[in-house]
Amino acid sequence: MGLYLFSHSLREFLRFRRIFPWVILCALGVVVAILWPYVVGAQTQAQQYADLSSMLAFHLAPLAAAIIVTSIIGQEVEQKTIVYLLTRPISRWKLLLSRYLAACIVVAGISILCTLALSIAIFHNPLRNELLVPDFLAILCGSFAYGSLFLMFSLLIVRSMIPCMLFFVWEVSIPNMPGDIYHLSIYSYMQGIAQHPVVDQQKGVAFLTGSMSNNLLTPSTSYASLIGCALVLGALSLWWFSRFEYVPREDAD
Amino acid sequence: MINLTNVSRWYGQVIGLNDVTCEIGPGVTALLGMNGAGKSTMMRLITGQLKPTTGDIKVLGLEPFANEELYKVLGYCPEIDRFYEHNSGREFVYYLARLAGYTPDEAKRRTQQGLELVGMAERADRPIAGYSKGMRQRIKLAQAMIHDPQIILLDEPLNGLDPVGRHDMTSLLAHLASQGKTIMISSHILYEVEHMTESILLLHRGRLLATGDLRVIRSLLDKHPHQVRIQTSDPRGVARELVPLPNVVSVEFMTEGNAIRLEVRDPNSFYDSLAKLVIENNLPVESLESPDNNMESVFKYLVEA
Repeated sequence: MGLYLFSHSLREFLRFRRIFPWVILCALGVVVAILWPYVVGAQTQAQQYADLSSMLAFHLAPLAAAIIVTSIIGQEVEQKTIVYLLTRPISRWKLLLSRYLAACIVVAGISILCTLALSIAIFHNPLRNELLVPDFLAILCGSFAYGSLFLMFSLLIVRSMIPCMLFFVWEVSIPNMPGDIYHLSIYSYMQGIAQHPVVDQQKGVAFLTGSMSNNLLTPSTSYASLIGCALVLGALSLWWFSRFEYVPREDAD
Repeated sequence: MINLTNVSRWYGQVIGLNDVTCEIGPGVTALLGMNGAGKSTMMRLITGQLKPTTGDIKVLGLEPFANEELYKVLGYCPEIDRFYEHNSGREFVYYLARLAGYTPDEAKRRTQQGLELVGMAERADRPIAGYSKGMRQRIKLAQAMIHDPQIILLDEPLNGLDPVGRHDMTSLLAHLASQGKTIMISSHILYEVEHMTESILLLHRGRLLATGDLRVIRSLLDKHPHQVRIQTSDPRGVARELVPLPNVVSVEFMTEGNAIRLEVRDPNSFYDSLAKLVIENNLPVESLESPDNNMESVFKYLVEA
Protein backbone atom coordinates (compact mmCIF):
# COMPACT_ATOMS: atom_id res chain seq x y z
CA MET A 1 0.00 0.00 0.00
CA GLY A 2 2.92 2.29 0.85
CA LEU A 3 4.35 1.67 -2.59
CA TYR A 4 1.05 2.49 -4.25
CA LEU A 5 0.78 5.69 -2.26
CA PHE A 6 4.36 6.60 -3.19
CA SER A 7 3.77 6.05 -6.92
CA HIS A 8 0.42 7.81 -6.79
CA SER A 9 1.99 10.79 -5.03
CA LEU A 10 4.81 10.84 -7.56
CA ARG A 11 2.30 10.92 -10.41
CA GLU A 12 0.39 13.71 -8.68
CA PHE A 13 3.51 15.83 -8.21
CA LEU A 14 4.52 15.21 -11.82
CA ARG A 15 1.20 16.27 -13.24
CA PHE A 16 1.76 18.55 -16.23
CA ARG A 17 0.22 21.61 -14.61
CA ARG A 18 2.38 21.20 -11.52
CA ILE A 19 5.68 20.41 -13.23
CA PHE A 20 5.42 22.80 -16.17
CA PRO A 21 6.50 25.97 -14.28
CA TRP A 22 9.62 24.18 -13.08
CA VAL A 23 10.51 23.07 -16.60
CA ILE A 24 10.13 26.70 -17.70
CA LEU A 25 12.49 27.78 -14.89
CA CYS A 26 15.05 25.21 -16.05
CA ALA A 27 14.70 26.50 -19.61
CA LEU A 28 15.29 30.02 -18.32
CA GLY A 29 18.50 28.66 -16.74
CA VAL A 30 19.64 27.64 -20.20
CA VAL A 31 18.96 31.16 -21.49
CA VAL A 32 20.98 32.61 -18.58
CA ALA A 33 23.82 30.16 -19.32
CA ILE A 34 23.95 31.30 -22.95
CA LEU A 35 23.95 34.97 -21.96
CA TRP A 36 26.30 34.54 -18.98
CA PRO A 37 29.65 35.08 -20.80
CA TYR A 38 28.36 38.43 -22.03
CA VAL A 39 27.63 39.47 -18.44
CA VAL A 40 30.73 38.33 -16.51
CA GLY A 41 33.30 38.08 -19.27
CA ALA A 42 35.61 35.19 -20.10
CA GLN A 43 35.50 32.16 -17.78
CA THR A 44 36.41 28.50 -18.03
CA GLN A 45 33.47 26.24 -18.76
CA ALA A 46 33.86 24.62 -15.32
CA GLN A 47 33.78 28.00 -13.55
CA GLN A 48 30.83 29.16 -15.59
CA TYR A 49 28.94 25.96 -14.76
CA ALA A 50 29.93 26.16 -11.05
CA ASP A 51 28.63 29.74 -10.77
CA LEU A 52 25.36 29.03 -12.52
CA SER A 53 24.79 25.71 -10.78
CA SER A 54 25.35 27.34 -7.39
CA MET A 55 23.11 30.28 -8.21
CA LEU A 56 20.30 28.51 -10.02
CA ALA A 57 20.17 24.75 -9.46
CA PHE A 58 21.18 24.82 -5.79
CA HIS A 59 18.70 27.59 -5.04
CA LEU A 60 15.95 25.88 -6.98
CA ALA A 61 15.96 23.03 -4.43
CA PRO A 62 14.73 25.09 -1.42
CA LEU A 63 12.22 26.90 -3.60
CA ALA A 64 10.81 23.66 -5.01
CA ALA A 65 10.86 22.02 -1.56
CA ALA A 66 9.00 24.99 -0.04
CA ILE A 67 6.23 24.65 -2.60
CA ILE A 68 6.05 20.88 -3.07
CA VAL A 69 6.85 19.48 0.38
CA THR A 70 4.62 21.89 2.26
CA SER A 71 1.73 20.77 0.07
CA ILE A 72 2.01 17.16 1.31
CA ILE A 73 -0.10 17.83 4.38
CA GLY A 74 -0.64 21.60 4.35
CA GLN A 75 -2.54 21.55 1.09
CA GLU A 76 -4.62 18.57 2.15
CA VAL A 77 -5.59 20.39 5.34
CA GLU A 78 -6.33 23.60 3.43
CA GLN A 79 -8.41 21.76 0.84
CA LYS A 80 -9.98 19.69 3.65
CA THR A 81 -9.25 16.48 1.72
CA ILE A 82 -7.04 15.28 4.59
CA VAL A 83 -10.11 13.63 6.12
CA TYR A 84 -10.22 11.02 3.34
CA LEU A 85 -6.61 10.04 3.96
CA LEU A 86 -6.77 9.95 7.75
CA THR A 87 -9.77 7.65 7.85
CA ARG A 88 -8.14 4.90 5.77
CA PRO A 89 -6.54 1.78 7.20
CA ILE A 90 -3.01 3.02 6.63
CA SER A 91 -0.75 4.19 9.42
CA ARG A 92 -0.11 7.87 9.48
CA TRP A 93 3.66 7.54 9.41
CA LYS A 94 3.44 5.36 6.28
CA LEU A 95 1.13 7.87 4.66
CA LEU A 96 3.48 10.75 5.39
CA LEU A 97 6.67 8.88 4.54
CA SER A 98 5.39 7.75 1.12
CA ARG A 99 4.37 11.26 0.18
CA TYR A 100 7.51 12.81 1.64
CA LEU A 101 9.77 10.49 -0.37
CA ALA A 102 7.85 11.19 -3.56
CA ALA A 103 8.00 14.94 -2.95
CA CYS A 104 11.76 14.93 -2.21
CA ILE A 105 12.47 12.91 -5.35
CA VAL A 106 10.52 15.42 -7.42
CA VAL A 107 12.37 18.33 -5.75
CA ALA A 108 15.72 16.67 -6.45
CA GLY A 109 14.58 15.84 -9.98
CA ILE A 110 13.75 19.48 -10.71
CA SER A 111 17.17 20.70 -9.52
CA ILE A 112 18.98 17.87 -11.30
CA LEU A 113 17.09 18.73 -14.48
CA CYS A 114 18.38 22.29 -14.06
CA THR A 115 22.01 21.14 -13.66
CA LEU A 116 21.64 18.90 -16.70
CA ALA A 117 20.21 21.76 -18.73
CA LEU A 118 23.10 24.00 -17.63
CA SER A 119 25.63 21.27 -18.47
CA ILE A 120 24.21 20.84 -21.94
CA ALA A 121 24.13 24.61 -22.49
CA ILE A 122 27.74 25.08 -21.31
CA PHE A 123 29.53 21.83 -22.18
CA HIS A 124 27.21 20.68 -24.98
CA ASN A 125 28.03 17.15 -23.80
CA PRO A 126 27.10 16.79 -20.13
CA LEU A 127 29.47 13.83 -19.70
CA ARG A 128 32.37 16.25 -20.04
CA ASN A 129 31.24 18.04 -16.88
CA GLU A 130 33.21 16.60 -13.96
CA LEU A 131 31.17 18.59 -11.46
CA LEU A 132 27.93 16.93 -12.48
CA VAL A 133 28.07 13.84 -10.24
CA PRO A 134 29.05 15.73 -7.04
CA ASP A 135 26.29 18.21 -7.88
CA PHE A 136 23.75 15.40 -8.24
CA LEU A 137 24.74 14.06 -4.84
CA ALA A 138 24.68 17.51 -3.25
CA ILE A 139 21.23 18.18 -4.69
CA LEU A 140 19.92 14.80 -3.63
CA CYS A 141 21.09 15.20 -0.03
CA GLY A 142 20.05 18.86 0.03
CA SER A 143 16.56 18.07 -1.31
CA PHE A 144 15.92 15.54 1.44
CA ALA A 145 17.28 17.93 4.09
CA TYR A 146 15.14 20.82 2.82
CA GLY A 147 12.25 18.38 2.52
CA SER A 148 12.49 17.27 6.14
CA LEU A 149 12.89 20.81 7.41
CA PHE A 150 9.91 22.14 5.48
CA LEU A 151 7.84 19.07 6.27
CA MET A 152 8.36 19.77 9.96
CA PHE A 153 7.42 23.43 9.42
CA SER A 154 4.30 22.43 7.54
CA LEU A 155 3.19 20.18 10.39
CA LEU A 156 3.71 22.91 12.96
CA ILE A 157 2.59 26.04 11.13
CA VAL A 158 -0.62 26.75 9.25
CA ARG A 159 -0.04 28.01 5.70
CA SER A 160 3.65 27.28 5.94
CA MET A 161 4.52 27.78 2.29
CA ILE A 162 5.25 31.50 2.60
CA PRO A 163 7.57 31.18 5.66
CA CYS A 164 9.33 28.30 3.92
CA MET A 165 9.78 30.34 0.77
CA LEU A 166 11.23 33.15 2.87
CA PHE A 167 13.80 30.61 4.01
CA PHE A 168 15.19 31.07 0.50
CA VAL A 169 16.41 34.55 1.56
CA TRP A 170 18.11 32.93 4.56
CA GLU A 171 19.79 30.42 2.31
CA VAL A 172 21.11 33.11 -0.02
CA SER A 173 22.45 35.40 2.70
CA ILE A 174 23.63 33.17 5.56
CA PRO A 175 26.45 31.34 3.69
CA ASN A 176 28.05 34.73 3.05
CA MET A 177 28.14 35.72 6.71
CA PRO A 178 31.44 35.76 8.54
CA GLY A 179 31.88 33.51 11.56
CA ASP A 180 30.22 30.15 12.10
CA ILE A 181 26.62 31.04 11.34
CA TYR A 182 26.93 29.52 7.87
CA HIS A 183 26.63 26.16 9.62
CA LEU A 184 22.92 26.93 9.91
CA SER A 185 22.45 26.89 6.16
CA ILE A 186 21.73 23.72 4.20
CA TYR A 187 23.16 25.44 1.14
CA SER A 188 26.62 25.57 2.79
CA TYR A 189 26.59 21.79 3.16
CA MET A 190 25.46 21.32 -0.42
CA GLN A 191 28.45 23.42 -1.47
CA GLY A 192 30.59 21.28 0.83
CA ILE A 193 29.57 18.17 -1.13
CA ALA A 194 29.80 19.80 -4.56
CA GLN A 195 33.24 21.39 -3.89
CA HIS A 196 32.84 23.88 -6.69
CA PRO A 197 36.14 25.53 -7.68
CA VAL A 198 36.56 28.94 -6.05
CA VAL A 199 38.16 31.72 -8.04
CA ASP A 200 37.92 35.50 -7.93
CA GLN A 201 34.32 36.42 -8.65
CA GLN A 202 32.43 39.65 -9.09
CA LYS A 203 30.87 40.76 -5.80
CA GLY A 204 27.32 40.11 -6.94
CA VAL A 205 28.16 36.68 -8.25
CA ALA A 206 30.09 35.83 -5.08
CA PHE A 207 27.04 36.82 -3.00
CA LEU A 208 24.64 34.75 -5.06
CA THR A 209 26.91 31.72 -5.00
CA GLY A 210 27.41 32.09 -1.23
CA SER A 211 31.19 32.31 -1.52
CA MET A 212 31.85 35.77 -0.10
CA SER A 213 33.31 34.39 3.13
CA ASN A 214 34.99 31.31 1.68
CA ASN A 215 33.30 29.10 4.24
CA LEU A 216 33.75 25.80 2.48
CA LEU A 217 32.94 22.67 4.49
CA THR A 218 34.46 19.23 3.88
CA PRO A 219 32.42 16.65 1.95
CA SER A 220 32.32 14.16 4.84
CA THR A 221 31.01 16.78 7.28
CA SER A 222 28.50 17.90 4.69
CA TYR A 223 27.19 14.42 3.91
CA ALA A 224 26.87 13.58 7.61
CA SER A 225 25.12 16.87 8.38
CA LEU A 226 22.61 16.73 5.54
CA ILE A 227 21.78 13.06 6.00
CA GLY A 228 21.54 13.57 9.76
CA CYS A 229 19.28 16.60 9.30
CA ALA A 230 17.02 14.69 6.88
CA LEU A 231 16.79 11.65 9.16
CA VAL A 232 16.26 13.49 12.44
CA LEU A 233 13.73 16.03 11.16
CA GLY A 234 12.05 13.38 9.01
CA ALA A 235 11.65 11.00 11.96
CA LEU A 236 10.43 13.85 14.14
CA SER A 237 7.85 14.78 11.52
CA LEU A 238 6.58 11.20 11.28
CA TRP A 239 6.28 10.97 15.04
CA TRP A 240 4.53 14.31 15.27
CA PHE A 241 2.06 13.50 12.51
CA SER A 242 1.19 10.17 14.13
CA ARG A 243 0.46 11.77 17.48
CA PHE A 244 -1.41 14.96 16.74
CA GLU A 245 -4.67 15.97 15.14
CA TYR A 246 -4.94 17.20 11.57
CA VAL A 247 -8.45 18.31 10.80
CA PRO A 248 -9.70 21.06 8.51
CA ARG A 249 -9.61 24.04 10.81
CA GLU A 250 -12.49 26.07 9.41
CA ASP A 251 -14.69 23.08 9.96
CA ALA A 252 -14.30 23.07 13.72
CA ASP A 253 -17.69 23.49 15.36
CA MET B 1 -20.41 -1.00 19.28
CA ILE B 2 -19.77 2.71 19.86
CA ASN B 3 -19.39 3.81 23.45
CA LEU B 4 -18.82 7.34 24.65
CA THR B 5 -18.22 7.84 28.34
CA ASN B 6 -18.21 11.38 29.73
CA VAL B 7 -16.65 12.67 26.55
CA SER B 8 -15.84 16.35 26.30
CA ARG B 9 -13.95 18.14 23.60
CA TRP B 10 -12.74 21.70 23.84
CA TYR B 11 -11.39 23.93 21.07
CA GLY B 12 -9.39 26.34 23.18
CA GLN B 13 -12.02 28.25 25.14
CA VAL B 14 -14.91 26.91 23.08
CA ILE B 15 -16.59 23.66 23.95
CA GLY B 16 -17.49 21.38 21.08
CA LEU B 17 -18.88 18.46 23.05
CA ASN B 18 -19.80 18.55 26.71
CA ASP B 19 -19.75 15.46 28.91
CA VAL B 20 -21.53 13.14 26.51
CA THR B 21 -22.21 9.56 27.51
CA CYS B 22 -24.04 7.26 25.13
CA GLU B 23 -24.00 3.89 23.47
CA ILE B 24 -24.77 3.30 19.82
CA GLY B 25 -25.63 -0.15 18.58
CA PRO B 26 -26.54 -1.79 15.27
CA GLY B 27 -29.18 -0.16 13.08
CA VAL B 28 -29.64 3.42 12.03
CA THR B 29 -29.14 6.12 14.66
CA ALA B 30 -29.76 9.74 13.83
CA LEU B 31 -27.55 12.39 15.36
CA LEU B 32 -29.62 15.51 15.42
CA GLY B 33 -28.90 19.08 16.29
CA MET B 34 -28.68 22.58 14.91
CA ASN B 35 -25.57 23.85 13.19
CA GLY B 36 -22.81 24.13 15.79
CA ALA B 37 -24.49 21.65 18.14
CA GLY B 38 -21.44 19.39 18.09
CA LYS B 39 -22.52 16.76 15.56
CA SER B 40 -19.40 16.99 13.42
CA THR B 41 -17.20 17.06 16.51
CA MET B 42 -18.84 13.87 17.72
CA MET B 43 -18.38 12.28 14.30
CA ARG B 44 -14.71 13.28 14.22
CA LEU B 45 -14.17 11.90 17.70
CA ILE B 46 -15.74 8.58 16.76
CA THR B 47 -13.76 8.41 13.51
CA GLY B 48 -10.55 9.14 15.40
CA GLN B 49 -9.70 12.40 13.72
CA LEU B 50 -9.90 14.16 17.06
CA LYS B 51 -8.99 13.07 20.56
CA PRO B 52 -11.39 13.76 23.41
CA THR B 53 -10.18 16.37 25.89
CA THR B 54 -11.67 14.26 28.66
CA GLY B 55 -13.59 11.01 28.72
CA ASP B 56 -13.28 7.79 26.84
CA ILE B 57 -14.40 6.61 23.41
CA LYS B 58 -14.42 3.02 22.30
CA VAL B 59 -15.50 1.79 18.89
CA LEU B 60 -15.72 -2.01 18.74
CA GLY B 61 -13.61 -1.91 21.87
CA LEU B 62 -10.85 0.09 20.16
CA GLU B 63 -9.53 3.59 20.82
CA PRO B 64 -10.38 5.36 17.59
CA PHE B 65 -7.66 8.01 17.28
CA ALA B 66 -5.45 7.20 14.26
CA ASN B 67 -6.32 3.52 14.66
CA GLU B 68 -5.77 1.81 11.31
CA GLU B 69 -7.40 -1.42 12.57
CA LEU B 70 -10.62 0.45 13.17
CA TYR B 71 -10.58 2.07 9.72
CA LYS B 72 -10.78 -1.38 8.16
CA VAL B 73 -14.34 -1.67 9.48
CA LEU B 74 -15.39 1.97 9.56
CA GLY B 75 -16.66 4.04 6.68
CA TYR B 76 -16.98 7.79 6.94
CA CYS B 77 -18.76 10.24 4.67
CA PRO B 78 -17.67 13.71 5.80
CA GLU B 79 -19.78 16.83 5.58
CA ILE B 80 -17.12 18.73 3.63
CA ASP B 81 -17.67 19.06 -0.08
CA ARG B 82 -14.03 18.85 -1.13
CA PHE B 83 -12.28 16.47 -3.50
CA TYR B 84 -9.27 16.21 -5.74
CA GLU B 85 -11.17 18.15 -8.35
CA HIS B 86 -9.00 17.11 -11.32
CA ASN B 87 -9.73 13.43 -10.62
CA SER B 88 -12.78 11.73 -12.02
CA GLY B 89 -15.21 10.23 -9.52
CA ARG B 90 -13.98 6.77 -10.49
CA GLU B 91 -10.32 7.71 -9.95
CA PHE B 92 -11.15 9.23 -6.58
CA VAL B 93 -13.03 6.18 -5.33
CA TYR B 94 -10.40 3.82 -6.79
CA TYR B 95 -7.60 5.77 -5.03
CA LEU B 96 -9.34 5.45 -1.69
CA ALA B 97 -10.08 1.77 -2.35
CA ARG B 98 -6.38 1.19 -2.92
CA LEU B 99 -5.63 3.01 0.33
CA ALA B 100 -8.04 0.61 1.99
CA GLY B 101 -5.53 -2.09 1.05
CA TYR B 102 -7.17 -3.73 -1.97
CA THR B 103 -5.24 -5.07 -4.95
CA PRO B 104 -5.70 -3.17 -8.23
CA ASP B 105 -8.23 -5.67 -9.56
CA GLU B 106 -10.20 -5.86 -6.34
CA ALA B 107 -10.14 -2.07 -5.97
CA LYS B 108 -11.41 -1.72 -9.53
CA ARG B 109 -14.22 -4.20 -8.88
CA ARG B 110 -15.21 -2.53 -5.63
CA THR B 111 -15.07 0.90 -7.23
CA GLN B 112 -17.53 -0.21 -9.91
CA GLN B 113 -19.73 -1.83 -7.26
CA GLY B 114 -19.65 1.26 -5.05
CA LEU B 115 -20.47 3.58 -7.93
CA GLU B 116 -23.37 1.37 -8.98
CA LEU B 117 -24.63 1.37 -5.42
CA VAL B 118 -24.92 5.17 -5.40
CA GLY B 119 -26.13 5.42 -9.01
CA MET B 120 -22.95 6.99 -10.37
CA ALA B 121 -21.48 4.18 -12.48
CA GLU B 122 -22.49 5.82 -15.77
CA ARG B 123 -21.33 9.30 -14.86
CA ALA B 124 -18.15 8.71 -12.87
CA ASP B 125 -15.58 9.22 -15.62
CA ARG B 126 -15.81 13.00 -15.82
CA PRO B 127 -13.64 15.25 -13.62
CA ILE B 128 -15.25 15.90 -10.24
CA ALA B 129 -14.89 19.65 -10.82
CA GLY B 130 -17.89 19.46 -13.17
CA TYR B 131 -20.16 17.50 -10.83
CA SER B 132 -23.40 18.78 -9.35
CA LYS B 133 -23.80 18.85 -5.58
CA GLY B 134 -25.84 15.66 -5.67
CA MET B 135 -23.22 13.82 -7.73
CA ARG B 136 -20.49 14.89 -5.35
CA GLN B 137 -22.55 13.64 -2.45
CA ARG B 138 -22.96 10.27 -4.12
CA ILE B 139 -19.22 9.97 -4.72
CA LYS B 140 -18.59 10.69 -1.05
CA LEU B 141 -21.06 7.98 -0.12
CA ALA B 142 -19.42 5.53 -2.51
CA GLN B 143 -15.99 6.03 -0.94
CA ALA B 144 -17.46 5.53 2.54
CA MET B 145 -18.94 2.16 1.60
CA ILE B 146 -16.21 0.87 -0.69
CA HIS B 147 -14.75 -1.51 1.89
CA ASP B 148 -18.10 -2.84 3.11
CA PRO B 149 -17.62 -1.43 6.61
CA GLN B 150 -19.39 -2.67 9.70
CA ILE B 151 -19.80 0.87 11.03
CA ILE B 152 -20.85 3.70 8.74
CA LEU B 153 -20.86 7.34 9.80
CA LEU B 154 -22.53 9.78 7.48
CA ASP B 155 -22.26 13.49 8.20
CA GLU B 156 -25.21 15.26 6.57
CA PRO B 157 -25.40 12.61 3.81
CA LEU B 158 -28.59 13.82 2.18
CA ASN B 159 -27.38 17.37 1.53
CA GLY B 160 -27.78 18.14 -2.13
CA LEU B 161 -29.51 14.91 -3.08
CA ASP B 162 -32.66 15.19 -5.16
CA PRO B 163 -35.85 13.43 -3.98
CA VAL B 164 -35.00 10.30 -6.00
CA GLY B 165 -31.50 10.30 -4.53
CA ARG B 166 -32.91 10.69 -1.04
CA HIS B 167 -35.30 7.84 -1.56
CA ASP B 168 -32.51 5.63 -2.95
CA MET B 169 -30.26 6.53 -0.07
CA THR B 170 -32.94 5.88 2.52
CA SER B 171 -33.61 2.46 0.99
CA LEU B 172 -29.91 1.67 0.84
CA LEU B 173 -29.36 2.60 4.49
CA ALA B 174 -32.38 0.57 5.54
CA HIS B 175 -30.95 -2.40 3.64
CA LEU B 176 -27.52 -1.97 5.26
CA ALA B 177 -29.12 -1.65 8.69
CA SER B 178 -31.03 -4.87 8.11
CA GLN B 179 -27.65 -6.58 7.62
CA GLY B 180 -26.74 -5.65 11.18
CA LYS B 181 -24.50 -2.72 10.36
CA THR B 182 -24.19 0.23 12.68
CA ILE B 183 -25.12 3.40 10.84
CA MET B 184 -24.97 6.87 12.28
CA ILE B 185 -26.39 9.77 10.34
CA SER B 186 -26.07 13.38 11.36
CA SER B 187 -28.53 15.96 10.20
CA HIS B 188 -29.93 19.32 11.17
CA ILE B 189 -32.97 18.82 8.97
CA LEU B 190 -35.16 16.58 11.00
CA TYR B 191 -37.63 15.41 8.40
CA GLU B 192 -34.69 13.98 6.46
CA VAL B 193 -34.11 11.29 9.02
CA GLU B 194 -37.66 10.90 10.26
CA HIS B 195 -38.39 8.04 7.90
CA MET B 196 -35.05 6.33 8.42
CA THR B 197 -35.01 5.67 12.12
CA GLU B 198 -36.75 5.98 15.43
CA SER B 199 -33.47 5.99 17.30
CA ILE B 200 -32.08 9.42 17.90
CA LEU B 201 -29.36 11.30 19.72
CA LEU B 202 -30.20 14.95 20.10
CA LEU B 203 -27.33 17.37 20.63
CA HIS B 204 -27.64 20.99 21.62
CA ARG B 205 -24.68 23.27 22.31
CA GLY B 206 -22.43 20.30 22.78
CA ARG B 207 -24.69 18.53 25.25
CA LEU B 208 -26.65 15.36 24.66
CA LEU B 209 -30.17 16.61 25.16
CA ALA B 210 -32.08 13.40 24.52
CA THR B 211 -31.39 9.89 23.46
CA GLY B 212 -33.44 6.81 22.68
CA ASP B 213 -36.58 5.89 20.80
CA LEU B 214 -38.32 8.76 19.10
CA ARG B 215 -41.77 7.28 19.89
CA VAL B 216 -41.03 7.31 23.62
CA ILE B 217 -39.89 10.90 23.44
CA ARG B 218 -42.97 11.84 21.49
CA SER B 219 -45.29 10.19 24.00
CA LEU B 220 -43.65 12.23 26.72
CA LEU B 221 -44.16 15.31 24.64
CA ASP B 222 -47.85 14.62 24.27
CA LYS B 223 -48.18 15.86 27.83
CA HIS B 224 -47.19 19.27 26.46
CA PRO B 225 -49.69 21.29 24.39
CA HIS B 226 -49.56 20.57 20.66
CA GLN B 227 -50.11 23.32 18.11
CA VAL B 228 -52.80 23.00 15.47
CA ARG B 229 -53.49 25.61 12.80
CA ILE B 230 -56.94 25.63 11.19
CA GLN B 231 -57.70 27.58 8.04
CA THR B 232 -61.38 28.57 7.91
CA SER B 233 -63.76 31.11 6.39
CA ASP B 234 -65.38 31.59 9.83
CA PRO B 235 -62.66 31.71 12.50
CA ARG B 236 -65.00 32.92 15.24
CA GLY B 237 -67.63 30.25 14.55
CA VAL B 238 -65.05 27.45 14.50
CA ALA B 239 -63.36 28.75 17.66
CA ARG B 240 -66.78 28.87 19.40
CA GLU B 241 -67.33 25.18 18.63
CA LEU B 242 -63.82 24.07 19.58
CA VAL B 243 -63.21 25.95 22.83
CA PRO B 244 -65.59 23.70 24.86
CA LEU B 245 -63.55 20.60 23.93
CA PRO B 246 -61.66 19.28 26.97
CA ASN B 247 -58.34 18.98 25.11
CA VAL B 248 -58.18 22.57 23.90
CA VAL B 249 -55.89 24.69 26.05
CA SER B 250 -55.97 27.98 24.12
CA VAL B 251 -57.15 29.60 20.91
CA GLU B 252 -55.41 32.38 19.05
CA PHE B 253 -56.82 34.29 16.08
CA MET B 254 -54.19 34.68 13.39
CA THR B 255 -53.67 38.21 12.08
CA GLU B 256 -52.87 36.97 8.58
CA GLY B 257 -55.59 35.14 6.65
CA ASN B 258 -58.65 33.43 8.08
CA ALA B 259 -57.08 31.05 10.53
CA ILE B 260 -56.94 30.12 14.17
CA ARG B 261 -54.15 28.46 16.10
CA LEU B 262 -55.01 26.09 18.90
CA GLU B 263 -52.97 24.56 21.66
CA VAL B 264 -54.26 21.12 22.49
CA ARG B 265 -53.36 18.22 24.76
CA ASP B 266 -53.66 14.62 23.64
CA PRO B 267 -53.76 15.48 19.95
CA ASN B 268 -55.16 12.13 18.81
CA SER B 269 -58.27 12.57 20.92
CA PHE B 270 -58.60 16.18 19.72
CA TYR B 271 -58.45 15.13 16.05
CA ASP B 272 -61.23 12.60 16.68
CA SER B 273 -63.43 15.27 18.25
CA LEU B 274 -62.66 17.73 15.46
CA ALA B 275 -63.57 15.20 12.79
CA LYS B 276 -66.93 14.59 14.51
CA LEU B 277 -67.66 18.33 14.72
CA VAL B 278 -66.82 18.88 11.07
CA ILE B 279 -69.21 16.12 10.00
CA GLU B 280 -72.02 16.70 12.49
CA ASN B 281 -71.97 20.51 12.74
CA ASN B 282 -70.69 21.17 9.23
CA LEU B 283 -67.75 23.24 10.46
CA PRO B 284 -66.18 25.22 7.60
CA VAL B 285 -62.62 23.85 8.01
CA GLU B 286 -60.62 24.49 4.84
CA SER B 287 -57.33 23.04 5.93
CA LEU B 288 -55.66 21.66 8.98
CA GLU B 289 -52.02 21.83 9.78
CA SER B 290 -49.99 20.79 12.77
CA PRO B 291 -46.56 22.36 12.85
CA ASP B 292 -45.75 19.97 15.66
CA ASN B 293 -46.59 16.82 13.81
CA ASN B 294 -43.04 15.77 12.99
CA MET B 295 -39.64 15.45 14.58
CA GLU B 296 -39.14 19.18 14.33
CA SER B 297 -41.49 19.48 17.29
CA VAL B 298 -39.48 17.02 19.33
CA PHE B 299 -36.40 19.02 18.66
CA LYS B 300 -38.06 22.35 19.38
CA TYR B 301 -39.66 21.25 22.61
CA LEU B 302 -36.51 19.70 23.96
CA VAL B 303 -34.31 22.60 23.01
CA GLU B 304 -36.69 25.13 24.48
CA ALA B 305 -37.29 23.12 27.64
